[in-house]
Amino acid sequence: MLLKVDVYVDRGVCRLVLNGELDMETVVQMQEAVGKVKEHTLEIDLSGVSFVDSTGLKSLLDISNEWRQKGGRMLVLRPQPDVAEVMRLVGLDGLLAQDTALAGEER
Amino acid sequence: MRRCLECAQKEPDRACVDCQYFIQPSPLRRVPSSPVRVLLEDGYGKQYPARILVLSTTEFGLETEAPVPGRYVIRLQENLWVEVAGVSFKGKNNVHLFDILCVHRKQETARRLSREEYQLLAGSTGELIYEVTRHLPEHLQDLVREKLLAEVEKSELINALKVGVVMKYESGRFRFLSGQADLGLPMEETEKLMRQAIRQAEHRREVIISADGKKVFDLHCVPFDYRSGGLLALDITGVIEKERKMHRQEMQVYREAIAAVTGGRLYLVSSGEIEKVVSEGMELARGEVRQSRDIPEARRAMREALPVLDSRRQHAIALCLTEALANALKHAGGGCWQARQSGDTVRIIVQDRGPGIKTSELTRATLMQHYSTKNSLGCGFTLMLYYADRLYLNTGSSGTVLILDFGIMPAEGLTGLNQ
Repeated sequence: MLLKVDVYVDRGVCRLVLNGELDMETVVQMQEAVGKVKEHTLEIDLSGVSFVDSTGLKSLLDISNEWRQKGGRMLVLRPQPDVAEVMRLVGLDGLLAQDTALAGEER
Repeated sequence: MRRCLECAQKEPDRACVDCQYFIQPSPLRRVPSSPVRVLLEDGYGKQYPARILVLSTTEFGLETEAPVPGRYVIRLQENLWVEVAGVSFKGKNNVHLFDILCVHRKQETARRLSREEYQLLAGSTGELIYEVTRHLPEHLQDLVREKLLAEVEKSELINALKVGVVMKYESGRFRFLSGQADLGLPMEETEKLMRQAIRQAEHRREVIISADGKKVFDLHCVPFDYRSGGLLALDITGVIEKERKMHRQEMQVYREAIAAVTGGRLYLVSSGEIEKVVSEGMELARGEVRQSRDIPEARRAMREALPVLDSRRQHAIALCLTEALANALKHAGGGCWQARQSGDTVRIIVQDRGPGIKTSELTRATLMQHYSTKNSLGCGFTLMLYYADRLYLNTGSSGTVLILDFGIMPAEGLTGLNQ
C-alpha cells in the first residue's frame, strides 16, 4: 500500500492522517475518504507523507475549495519540510494550519 | 537629362523631392515623414552619411556628399542591405537619384524592395516595431524586435507564390486559359478533383504533390455547370519552403527568448543536439510508464539507483521525474524514462511519442513564473523549472524529449533556500 489513510473523528472535527506518498496513483484514496466526511471541520495530517506531486496538490486545493463553499473549514497539518516547500512554491501555503511551524520540530 | 540641368540653372531653390521628373510619379512614390538617415559605403569601405528624402520600391532620392556616379551599399538592418548606383543626371547640388540594383536579405536577393522593407523606410512598420518594444527590458528588446520583423516578413510568402495556371474543363477536356502551361500538374488527379467538384456542384480544394515529389500544388476546382468548370492551380512549392524556413527562424527566436526568460536554464534544442545530450554519462536506471501506477514504481527504481544525496535534492529529483512522467502519460499515453549520471550531474530523461507541445503552450508554461495550482492547468512545469538546474526540451510532431539536470554537489549558495 502506497498510501494509508486513517480517519479520526472527535467533537465535530474529522482528521485524516495520511501515511505514504500522495500522487496521481493514490490521490483517489484521499478523495474517497474525504467524500465520506460529514464533519464541519476537516484536517488533513501530512506528517507521514514523504511525497506529494502536483496532482496531490491540486486535489488538496479542490478539497479546500469544496469545504469553503460548504462554509466549513479545511486545514493541512504538519507537512514535512520538502512537501511544505512545494506547497509554498505553488501558492498553497494558505491551506496550512498556523501551527505548521511546529511540524518540523515534532518530526 | 536636360531637365535637371535646366532646373539647376533656372530654379536652383526648387527641391528635387517635389519634382515629378526626379522620381517616377507612382502610387509607391513616398516621402518619409522625416528623412531617414543612412550610410552609403563604397567599395573601399569609405562611408558617406545620407538622408533618404524620397523613395519608391526601385529608387531612392538621397541627399549626400557621396560622389555620383558611383556604387554604394546601404545597410538598413543587420539582415538587409541594398546596393545602389547614383544617377548623375537626375538631381542637382547634393541631391541625387540612386537606382536600387540589388536588395540583399538574409536568405535571398531581389531587384527591388519588398513591400515591408519599403514600408519600413517609408515610415510605418519600423518605427512601430521600435515604438512597441521601447519599454521592454533591454535584454529582450532585440529578440522581440526580430520576432516582430519575422512576422512582417511573413507577408513575403506572397512573393514566393508562383501563380500557376488557369484552365477550363469542358466535356472531359482541359483547355488552357492563362498562366504557365508547363507547370507539370498531375493531370489524372486534377481531373478527378474537377469531376468531383462538378458532380457535387461545389468548390473543391486540395493540395497535391507532383509524381516526382518535387512540387506542391494548391488546386481549386470551381464548377460552372453540370459538365464544365474552372481550374486554378497554384504552385506553392516555394511558399512551403519559405514557411519551413520561417518556422526554423521562429524556433531560433523562441529558443533565445525562453533561455533568456528562464535565466538560461531552459533550452529548446534540435533533435540532433538532444541525441548528444541523451548519450552523455552513464546510465543509472531506466523504465517505461504506461499507466499511473507505473509512476511510483519509476520513482522507487530511480531512488534506488541514485547516489547518496541530501533528502531535499532527492525529493526534488523524484518530484521532477513524477511531473515529467505525468505529462507524458497525460499528453502522449506514456513514455520512457532514464536516469544517468555524468560527473556531478544527475540527468533525468523522459521521452514520449505524443503530438508535441505547441510553442504557444510552451511560452505560457515557461514564462508565467508564478503559475499556481489556482489555474486549472497543472503546475508541473513550474515545479520542474524551479528544481532542475538545467532543462533541455525537444518537441515536435513525432514526440517530446525532456531532459532535466540536477547538480548533486550541494552548492553553498543553495543552503539558504533549504529552510
